[in-house]
Amino acid sequence: MLELRLVQGSLLKKVLESIKDLVTDANFDCSATGFSLQAMDSSHVALVALLLRSEGFEHYRCDRSISMGMNLGNMSKMLKCAGNDDIITIKADDGSDTVTFMFESPTQDKISDFEMKLMDIDSEHLGIPEAEYHAIVRMPSAEFARICKDLSGIGDTVVISVTKEGVKFSTRGDIGTANIVCRQNTTVDKPEEATIIEMNEPVSLTFALRYMNSFTKASPLSNTVTISLSSELPVVVEYKIAEMGYIRFYLAPKIEEDEDETKPQV
Amino acid sequence: MGIKGLTKLLADNAPKAMKEQKFESYFGRKIAIDASMSIYQFLIVVGRSGTEMLTNEAGEVTSHLQGMFSRTIRLLEAGIKPVYVFDGKPPELKSQELAKRYSKRVDATQDLAMALEADNKEDIEKFSKRTVKVTKQHNEDCRRLLRLMGVPVIEAPSEAEAQCAVLCKAGKVYAVASEDMDSLTFGAPKFLRHLMDPSSRKIPVMEFDVAKVLEELNLTMDQFIDLCILSGCDYCDSIRGIGGQTALKLIRQHGSIESILESINKERYQIPEKWPYQEARQLFKEPVALTDEEQLEIKWTAPDEEGLISFLVNENGFNSDRVTKAIEKIKAAKNKSSQGRLESFFKPTATTSVPLKRKESKCVLKHPKSAIKSKMFSLQDCNSSRPNVIGSLSLPIFNLGAKHFIPLSRGVCFST
Repeated sequence: MLELRLVQGSLLKKVLESIKDLVTDANFDCSATGFSLQAMDSSHVALVALLLRSEGFEHYRCDRSISMGMNLGNMSKMLKCAGNDDIITIKADDGSDTVTFMFESPTQDKISDFEMKLMDIDSEHLGIPEAEYHAIVRMPSAEFARICKDLSGIGDTVVISVTKEGVKFSTRGDIGTANIVCRQNTTVDKPEEATIIEMNEPVSLTFALRYMNSFTKASPLSNTVTISLSSELPVVVEYKIAEMGYIRFYLAPKIEEDEDETKPQV
Repeated sequence: MGIKGLTKLLADNAPKAMKEQKFESYFGRKIAIDASMSIYQFLIVVGRSGTEMLTNEAGEVTSHLQGMFSRTIRLLEAGIKPVYVFDGKPPELKSQELAKRYSKRVDATQDLAMALEADNKEDIEKFSKRTVKVTKQHNEDCRRLLRLMGVPVIEAPSEAEAQCAVLCKAGKVYAVASEDMDSLTFGAPKFLRHLMDPSSRKIPVMEFDVAKVLEELNLTMDQFIDLCILSGCDYCDSIRGIGGQTALKLIRQHGSIESILESINKERYQIPEKWPYQEARQLFKEPVALTDEEQLEIKWTAPDEEGLISFLVNENGFNSDRVTKAIEKIKAAKNKSSQGRLESFFKPTATTSVPLKRKESKCVLKHPKSAIKSKMFSLQDCNSSRPNVIGSLSLPIFNLGAKHFIPLSRGVCFST
């Protein structure tokens, strides 16, 4: 028996919108800790890790750890039917092969039940070791989204480099090049507008912009985004979900090859 | 060729061991390819009509070069890093099989002559395909072409599939691509079929996972090898009346060929007089293959443009524009292969290696092979009647915890 009541139903809608284009099918894991998901995109370049802690739900009942395989496109279709102010309850009975999303309007005068078929999905869980990152950048999520969007008009890849000067996003394409530098900036009226750079070591990594752009779809979930970089580790782009948890995107870097410039022998 | 009926046997008994994958999802992967098999396919398929084949000015066949060139570029463009493995000397046990193939070819040649006389187009097509033989020259041409393209080539001392499997076991490549199911018997951890099929056929790549095969069949590797020998392999005859399904039953019951031989009805099943199953087993278990680190060193290099043009255009009459364009493609493709994969940073958690049986029934979302549709109904049937939510009370609690709790604590919710 599973029953999770989320007063801020719009949050779940936003979560789905941010991941449904990256991942088609995924297992949602539900345990005493919370409602979580870990899934890779089909090419195994990017990974999304979501956690909504049980404390964040108004009512959280999960008798034992279960996993529910869902098609995210279908789930999103159903959640789109919920109003932005609706309370969403996720329900599943033991032994059932469906999950029910119940939407209650704030005034309690409309209650909708959407039942969705579950899938059996074979997916691999990756162990993500805790790592010390060389550099951690926190900046307004809208700013980051803007940068990624702008750069993808010019090139396919972005080089993110963090130095003492700040964080630099650069790209190169057929029409030319672009460089955007963001400096540390803490003297702002609102704390969420700050750009904070913690750097242990300078770092520079290359990523495919296509994925970065996809990650920025999570911007509505949080005003700020945290980008953690280490050389030769996937970048982590994290959006905190207030009082509930986070959505993290991991992206494998592009690796320059050094060995190949020798002439072949015939 | 390969193991008789193994694909169907696996589809029926170990559906979870085979997965359909998109061709594109193999980018960045190093893949060992059985070259001889590919060349054979190219000679049959590429640019053939009746007895006519693609040739150069001197009248030498160039189908294999055309095929090898275009398919390899397709792999490179998808970011795949192929390494081609060529057959060496066939093991002695295979001589019988080879003799059979030879006589088939002789028959086909005669049939072809007759068909030509009768001008029967269908028969000409059919028999001329059967007369195809991969010669030393074909192999040599392809090796030269691949080297010019900057694609590594390995010469196996014996069977190419065996060498591929060794490469894969040593972690030098991600998977082995062949159409020959032997690769599984040689123990290649991951085995791909249809990777080299033309894109126009739109067949998804079929990925076999040997560990899952063993798990699903509930056999050890040795037992699996015995199963393959019983089903019918290239190295020795099989027992008349025993096919894959019976072989599986017998192996499950008795555990090895030796104990099967002790207990089966020798009158019903005639065991071949000279039946070198032990030697065959040995060949599968410890095949002759290069194992030295140095010999297995594989490197992808930049293409030799001039060399390619002189070889393909000047010597073999390829269209020079097309070759130049293709070289551009090879160069552009190098860029794509630089994208890293997450698995090279994060390893699957221990839990996945011992997956909890979520269902007792064997269900697949997409059935891997349409050829066995009749089976599908029964499978789907069990799919719908089984709960998909993991709530079945028969499952021990600690198992559930193991499945879902560990990945949670290790994989996802490391502290913030």
